[in-house]
Amino acid sequence: MSDKHLSTQFDSELNQVSARVMELGGLVEAQIRQAIAALSQFSLEAAAQVEAIERRVNQMEVEIDHELTTIIARRQPTARDLRLLMAFSKATANLERMGDEATRMARMVRSIIESGAVRTLPSNDLRVAADLASGLLRKALDAFARLDTRAALAILKEDDLIDREFDGFVRKLITYMMEDPRTISASLDLLFLAKAIERIGDHSKNVAELIIYLVEGKDVRHTALQDIESFVQ
Amino acid sequence: MNPNKITVRDLNFYYGKFHALKGINLDIPEKKVTAFIGPSGCGKSTLLRTFNRMFELYPEQRAEGQIVLDGENLLTSRQNVALIRAKVGMVFQKPTPFPMSIYDNIAFGVKLFESLNATDMDERVEWALRKAALWNEVKDKLTQSGAGLSGGQQQRLCIARGIAVLPEVLLLDEPCSALDPISTAKIEELIAELKNDYTVVIVTHNMQQAARCSDYTAYMYLGNLVEFGATEQMFFKPQRKETEDYITGRFG
Repeated sequence: MSDKHLSTQFDSELNQVSARVMELGGLVEAQIRQAIAALSQFSLEAAAQVEAIERRVNQMEVEIDHELTTIIARRQPTARDLRLLMAFSKATANLERMGDEATRMARMVRSIIESGAVRTLPSNDLRVAADLASGLLRKALDAFARLDTRAALAILKEDDLIDREFDGFVRKLITYMMEDPRTISASLDLLFLAKAIERIGDHSKNVAELIIYLVEGKDVRHTALQDIESFVQ
Repeated sequence: MNPNKITVRDLNFYYGKFHALKGINLDIPEKKVTAFIGPSGCGKSTLLRTFNRMFELYPEQRAEGQIVLDGENLLTSRQNVALIRAKVGMVFQKPTPFPMSIYDNIAFGVKLFESLNATDMDERVEWALRKAALWNEVKDKLTQSGAGLSGGQQQRLCIARGIAVLPEVLLLDEPCSALDPISTAKIEELIAELKNDYTVVIVTHNMQQAARCSDYTAYMYLGNLVEFGATEQMFFKPQRKETEDYITGRFG
């Protein structure tokens, strides 16, 4: 938000909570990177890192919510301030959920390592989707910081790509399971991993929708892409 | 949108040489609450006062253009100005009870326009006080002076006095600025109640009050109508940056 309020105190409250949301975003990004490392290197250490970050993410979510309610109670925000705080609140919830998905990934990796089925399954294919999802979050956070609705629109389109990757991966897993029923247990773990990655993409998409809500004042959830395109400048 | 009760077209207003309202065009919907907001000196009270020709009390003030109420331009109307003011009632910032009993405060205006017998007058007074949510507090002391009431009660007495003559439009000029939050809440409740029967126009400095109790909001600045729209929209996503800056407290 560029223009200043008459109340500099209000400005500094908004700036502070804004910085906290971005910090949370960075933390979740790191968490997802660690989850990807755990997956691609089958590293128990990276998996443990993911779980350690999870605790900080949860703590930050609670703190940000508290700051937001305090601002609402004291300032009765309207118009773009109101939209900004709504967007922060929802973005925070989405980021925390992404953290949950990263934690789920770490747990799955641990389970696969413990089952000893590591080498026989197409876990490398997941990396592509995981990198896409992690990149999408970075772009969403960048677009949020710059209030860039065009970038937000691009994110909505990119999420479709992850969804397609997911569908392809599921088909591949089914083939594996049919060929060798002994891989079923580990395949299911991989399926849940893929699902977690797909959910991370969805949450980034939600964050991108919030940018459009914030800038344009339009709620674009459950709206067809071409309709959104028509009013994003 | 309801049909329009008041239609303002190309309204210009002058305090001597000072051009206070500049080409205002505005439609006030019937049986809705319309709020005028804007910084001091923006013309919102001036605009309100044109609606019942209150400005005519001062010779150096003049209005040009049209203010059409029920098909008639109030500015050129040959109607008795007292009749216009009975139709378009007004309540001011400071409570202004007449120096007489609570009962007579209400009956005084009614007597100017109607000759009611004692029973009918009693009924009218009770009706007006009930409408103004004041009856229960004053029913046992109707003969006492209106000046003895609290500020919030006095203001509701003035509203009761305003509606006792059965107006169609009620103009409220900062009706709560001298009141505490409880009295303010009562007046706001009353406004919500009144719009079932009347067209209400309220001038307020309290932005949250406009947000709470109006259906439509007009933002004025330096004698211009900057934006007019549904209150919900004005406080969520106004069309104009000037409006958003003012509403969010970025005005400077």
